[in-house]
Amino acid sequence: MIEGFKNALVMIELELRRLRHDRTEIYFRAVQPILWIVIYGPVMSSVRAIPTGGVPYTDYITPGVMIQTTTFVSIFYGLMMVWERDIGILKKLLVTPASRYSMVIGRSMASGVRALFQALIILPIAFAIEVHFVPNQVYFILAFIIIFLSSGGFAAISAIVASFLKTRERFMGLGQAIIMPLFFASNALYPIQIMPPILREFATFNSLSYVVDAVRGLLITGYIQNLPLDLAAIAIFDTVMFTIASISFRRIIE
Amino acid sequence: MKLAIQVNNLVKVYDGKVKALDGVDLNVEPGVAFALLGPNGAGKTTLIRILTTQLKPTAGEAYVFGLNVIKEGSKVRKLVSYVPQEMSVWTDISGYENLLIYAKIFGVPRLEREKVIDEVLESMGLDDVKNDLVKTYSGGMIRRLEIACAMLIKPKIMFLDEPTIGLDPAAKKVVWERLNFFKKEYGVTIFFNTHYMDEAELYADEIAIINRGKIVARGKSEELRRSLGGEIIAFTVDKATIKPDLIQNIRKLSFVKDVFENGNLSVLVSDAETALPRLIDVLKDEKVSVERVSITKPTLDDVFLKYAGTRVEEKGRISDVTHMRTMIRKG
Repeated sequence: MIEGFKNALVMIELELRRLRHDRTEIYFRAVQPILWIVIYGPVMSSVRAIPTGGVPYTDYITPGVMIQTTTFVSIFYGLMMVWERDIGILKKLLVTPASRYSMVIGRSMASGVRALFQALIILPIAFAIEVHFVPNQVYFILAFIIIFLSSGGFAAISAIVASFLKTRERFMGLGQAIIMPLFFASNALYPIQIMPPILREFATFNSLSYVVDAVRGLLITGYIQNLPLDLAAIAIFDTVMFTIASISFRRIIE
Repeated sequence: MKLAIQVNNLVKVYDGKVKALDGVDLNVEPGVAFALLGPNGAGKTTLIRILTTQLKPTAGEAYVFGLNVIKEGSKVRKLVSYVPQEMSVWTDISGYENLLIYAKIFGVPRLEREKVIDEVLESMGLDDVKNDLVKTYSGGMIRRLEIACAMLIKPKIMFLDEPTIGLDPAAKKVVWERLNFFKKEYGVTIFFNTHYMDEAELYADEIAIINRGKIVARGKSEELRRSLGGEIIAFTVDKATIKPDLIQNIRKLSFVKDVFENGNLSVLVSDAETALPRLIDVLKDEKVSVERVSITKPTLDDVFLKYAGTRVEEKGRISDVTHMRTMIRKG
């Protein structure tokens, strides 16, 4: 357990060092979410078609858009694992005393670091277009801890998919095919209540909905009655994904 | 004293179809440099990956310093280091940072870390470039950094999969000077795969030849060459003039030990000086036009040709270079 935690920290350190040398990816990835909140948000809010419980529409979608980008980062982290298989890093890591389980969790949590930076970079833009945040630092910190932890789970999903696909080209396409349904069938852009019944069912099992709900409560609405449920859902999601990823990890290298 | 490696009747079948290892038996003494020599696809990498606990064999047993690689994998991983054929360092951070990350993963104690990293950097000749990003390194420097990573824990045995693939001769030499230094200084056993004859000949204390998943010969390079006995007379001939039964006819001659045809016509005899005039007569009778004749002592390549039925370096020369280039480009 301690060993696993240590390895996760080493992997996080690795990610920070890489970011220190090269942050271009983060800047480019910020373009899309910025377009959502700068263009899509204001346009849709002028229509006033979506019931947001009195919250301005751009404010409403800001957490969803932030989490969509961080999910992107995490899912494509799996791609990096495929790439590391192509080159020898993964093979070499497997021949170190570190347990395979700790490697999977470590690598997945490291994606959380990238995700955090990705989410943070959207904040100044959100401030500039006058998105109203709840003025509470504890809520803020908590929201980012949630983003960090849930990113690990999404990265584990991509590790699982990577273990089946094994080539980068296949993964590129599938990465999109995983993220967009997760995004649209969640409460990121509109409340679950206005969805057709089947989609509503799906959204209830969509872990992204719980993350968005928690972060929106903490950052925008201040409504945190659902927080324990959201946290429980995220914890279950992470545990299940880490377990499956650890089991399927063998497949990546064979 | 425990054997560094002990392998009994090891079999590996991929997907129930491809037989990569077909009953390998092998013992390696500690403290030696051991080469596993064979063409691409002979099963070299599979053997190394089983010995380093990455793959499970289909049948058979393997031990590293007395530890079972299947049942005691975690203990084995504390003793061994491994340098895969593909690049195994992060190219978007510096050489020093790579070593730091690996030192932490290997669990090198915090107080010793700096000292150990400085030591391996110096012995690998990477001191001056330690703070440069790895993507600016040459192929040889990347290899040396990988070996430096593998030396962080002073392993009892180091596994290297094609350690000098795609490197130019000068870089090759430097890499091997450093490896020999570790062997002498720390008594590290070095087990490496290669399909370069010269590499096996120059740097290995012992060689095993592997072909189609089987060890077909083993011994010191000198012993292997001597096992063929005699001398080789190589005729460069006009291929069009060779008749189908020529080889059989030459083989029947009492003074001929063996014949291989591989572009040239190579005839193994015990005494070339007396055999040559008689062979020329035979070739004249058979109307073979001979362009050139040379007499040599058997090389490892001839040994390989005898035991494996093919020349080892035929496949892969060009692919090596492209492989190395792709590796660097990917980084």
